[in-house]
Amino acid sequence: MTPTTGVRVDVDHLTWRPMGRATPILSDLTFTIEPGEHVLLVGGSGSGKSTLLRALAGVLTASESGDLGGTVTLTAATAAHPSVGLLLQDPADAVVAGTAYRDAAFGLENEAVPRDEMADAVREILMAVTFPYGLDRQVAELSGGEAQRLALAGVLVMRPGLVLLDEPTSMLDPVGACAVRTSLRRAVMATSATVIVVEHRLEPWIPLVDRVIVLARDGTLRADGPARSTLEQNADRLKNDGIWIPGLPAPAPLGVPRELCAPNRVLSAGDDAVTARRVGLTRTSVGLRNTGRPATADLVRDASVIVRGGEIVAVVGPSGSGKSTLASLVAGLEKPTSGDVTVTAALEVNGEGRPGWWQALALASRIGWVPQNAELTIIGRTVRDDAQLTTRLLHASTVGTATRVEELLGVLRLAPLSDSDPHLLSGGEMRRLALATAVAHGPSILVLDEPTVGQDRESWAAVVGVILAARDAGTAVLLTTHDPLLIDLADRIITLPQSGAAASLPRETPSPTRQRIIDSCGPLSLLGASFALLFGSFAITSVLHGVAGLAGWIVFFLLIASPKSVRWRRLVPGLLAVLSVGFSTWLLSRGQDPLTGAAAAARVAFFVIPGIYLAGAIDPSTLGDHLVQRLRLPSRPVVAATAALQQFENLANQWRQLQQSRRIRGLDGTRSPRARAREFTALTAALLVHALYKAGRMSVAMDARGFSAARAGNVPRTWAEPAPWRWNDSVLIGGALVVVAIPTILRF
Amino acid sequence: MSIDKRVQSGSRRRSGNAPSIRASGRLGAWRGVDLVTAAVLAVAFGVVFWAFDTFVYPAISLLTAGFPPVGELALGVWLVPAVLGAMVIRRPGAALFTEMVAANVELFLGNQWGPAVLLSGFLQGVGVEIVFAIFLWRRFGMPAAMLGGAFSAVLEIVGYEWWSYVAGYSWAWKFIYLASGVVSGALIAGLLGWLIVRSLSRTRALNAFPPGREFHERLLRQSE
Repeated sequence: MTPTTGVRVDVDHLTWRPMGRATPILSDLTFTIEPGEHVLLVGGSGSGKSTLLRALAGVLTASESGDLGGTVTLTAATAAHPSVGLLLQDPADAVVAGTAYRDAAFGLENEAVPRDEMADAVREILMAVTFPYGLDRQVAELSGGEAQRLALAGVLVMRPGLVLLDEPTSMLDPVGACAVRTSLRRAVMATSATVIVVEHRLEPWIPLVDRVIVLARDGTLRADGPARSTLEQNADRLKNDGIWIPGLPAPAPLGVPRELCAPNRVLSAGDDAVTARRVGLTRTSVGLRNTGRPATADLVRDASVIVRGGEIVAVVGPSGSGKSTLASLVAGLEKPTSGDVTVTAALEVNGEGRPGWWQALALASRIGWVPQNAELTIIGRTVRDDAQLTTRLLHASTVGTATRVEELLGVLRLAPLSDSDPHLLSGGEMRRLALATAVAHGPSILVLDEPTVGQDRESWAAVVGVILAARDAGTAVLLTTHDPLLIDLADRIITLPQSGAAASLPRETPSPTRQRIIDSCGPLSLLGASFALLFGSFAITSVLHGVAGLAGWIVFFLLIASPKSVRWRRLVPGLLAVLSVGFSTWLLSRGQDPLTGAAAAARVAFFVIPGIYLAGAIDPSTLGDHLVQRLRLPSRPVVAATAALQQFENLANQWRQLQQSRRIRGLDGTRSPRARAREFTALTAALLVHALYKAGRMSVAMDARGFSAARAGNVPRTWAEPAPWRWNDSVLIGGALVVVAIPTILRF
Repeated sequence: MSIDKRVQSGSRRRSGNAPSIRASGRLGAWRGVDLVTAAVLAVAFGVVFWAFDTFVYPAISLLTAGFPPVGELALGVWLVPAVLGAMVIRRPGAALFTEMVAANVELFLGNQWGPAVLLSGFLQGVGVEIVFAIFLWRRFGMPAAMLGGAFSAVLEIVGYEWWSYVAGYSWAWKFIYLASGVVSGALIAGLLGWLIVRSLSRTRALNAFPPGREFHERLLRQSE
């Protein structure tokens, strides 16, 4: 490994206007950063900080189109070509593989580093960022802070001379954020690399940097100089831009009229609006990982909370302690698997006191919700539509309520955006819109999951003002937060212990049964055998051929595998398909001969039943390796597909959350087929929008680790893991060919 | 999937009669974001299929298990990724790649046909691919999308299902089976796929792709 050398950055008249925007995000920026400098990039929300980092990383046009002007020049002190590393806000966007080793080695693979050098390089870098686990740790089991340290390792393993950090701790709880900063200090700030960091909360970064560059809201350069003095000199203007400057007192909550946030059903003061008694939620994960039984996770266990009308209860605790899950149980988004959630008698629906069992409209009229990922609640086409949606569903006439929505949007500083597409809002704006939609129709209970994240000083004051006004009007407010200023304002605090999902995921126990031949077969032989059976099935024209062939398969199967490894539930759809083919062939064949039907069933069973079993033995994460290294398929599409498959579980969770947020906003009320079809279409469209944004962020992260550059060089990409063809694979293919020969020989 | 090897000359573009905006750069030169987006869209469809299989399809499949020609009216659902991939990315191989990744997700989730789903995915992807190739990756309007969906169904049924799932049917029923598949392909995959792309292009999400650019140019024309 060559030692890191700092990169010099020259930015000259850089301008960027993305498509669909009237004004540029970056406007005529010119500055120079010397090698080894540590720079904090500061600006209000929407000032183009993230955009500037993407420009410096050379990935600005990776996921967006627009007009780009000016130049960015990077020069390394030595002759080596300057390398850049970019760490993004959400570690989930950087994940490309299932294990820590594979994920961290992605950049090395793209740079064609030989395989035998990878393990040492990755181990060294994981140690440097204080990653607490070994190389084989599953990425899905990491907490946010751990995942971000792994993502940092994936960046640093390429020894970048310029390290760009885009809000690296903003998604993390204080403990995780502190761990990531410590890792950064040890692994990045101590080297000679040039570092540029973007963050909203400045205090913890001041001691780590030499210089501050301030961007104004219109994308121009506002100030540039030594960290402390620059911040002090510009304190007033920065404060007006909403920047959280260290040392200033907390902003005073905005005075919001109570009527704007008053509930429709007023609870008597001190009434226990909602009570959760020792609730727990266990969920089976929907994963693509074939091996082993599906993992179940205790998302929250034995948590209790009471919220009274007119009080704010803050639920705090480390990430993974189940705060969000508790919030979603209290909000009635999910039914608890243990314990129960009940509301006060005044809020019951036809005697039903458990919110999880209510119809959508009843739920919407009683409980308002702001989720952690506010983008998931967007339903309306414009900001105003979205804010009015539930009100319209609940009250046929919107007279009087429309002004309440307008005023709320005004208070939350969204009024100028009323007619724009909610998807175009920044993260902080989306969260304020979600708050407006939750409060607008006057629910008696408000459940807010991290409502102040991503807010600058002014908008923080507005958000807190709305929450306090709702409380003063008698609403019961439950919120989860890491924000110390918000915790200070709560009437009561409940701390959840660390017992969380990440910690309690069941470790896979190695099965005590002895290894059979099929257990170490690679994906290609498993697929090859299935396809041999598929093509062999065309020779089957009578029941006898089919039964003889299946018998041959069963004998071979018992030789190479254990019957215990069959998961019968997986076979059920296949068996139904076989019956369907047999029955319909009998019905629709010439002469309606039952034997024709039986032969058709046998032919399909011959490849479907073994095929489903064989497919179940494939490890999805190894398929890509084999497709490229053995079958010589082009590497970039396969790499992209493998990375995308890692996002399946994430996208499945988003589907569920989209469903939940539609329900709590009053949609999904009826059970008619038409309403269901509409619901399904709406969910599909919403999921695709999220998938597209996710893909954009993923390709930025992947391109920043050399994914597209791998194409440019002529050196072929290397692979962190081999794709061996073992004798087991030959046995499986050979045996399948023998089985296939049985019906073929019988026929001719 | 020889995506990297197929190179199309981009110089044949006429300025006068170009109905759709083509992909940027050489047609065969996939950007990173093209590959990742096609693959993530396919995985998202894997989620949609999983939800469809869990919440919607059991009702349909119970009704149609005894009479597959009607069930084939749902075929178009599985063809949407191919049409959508082609319409968003607009490069040779996009339909095939997207459909193959979606087929892989189905395979790993467990499905009724086992690895045969990969063969189906291949034929379905190639079917859409052929139609857009005939238009030289220049036309991505509703007619092209519907033709793509329809031909995808033809290739899937004539190239595979006729000889496998419904091999014993009389010819009359084979053609009825084909017809219901083609209708479904044209309407669900073609028309619905086109509608989905149009509604997606209204958000910022497709800005890096030709449909997003088309939307913004429409907006500009309207404002002029």
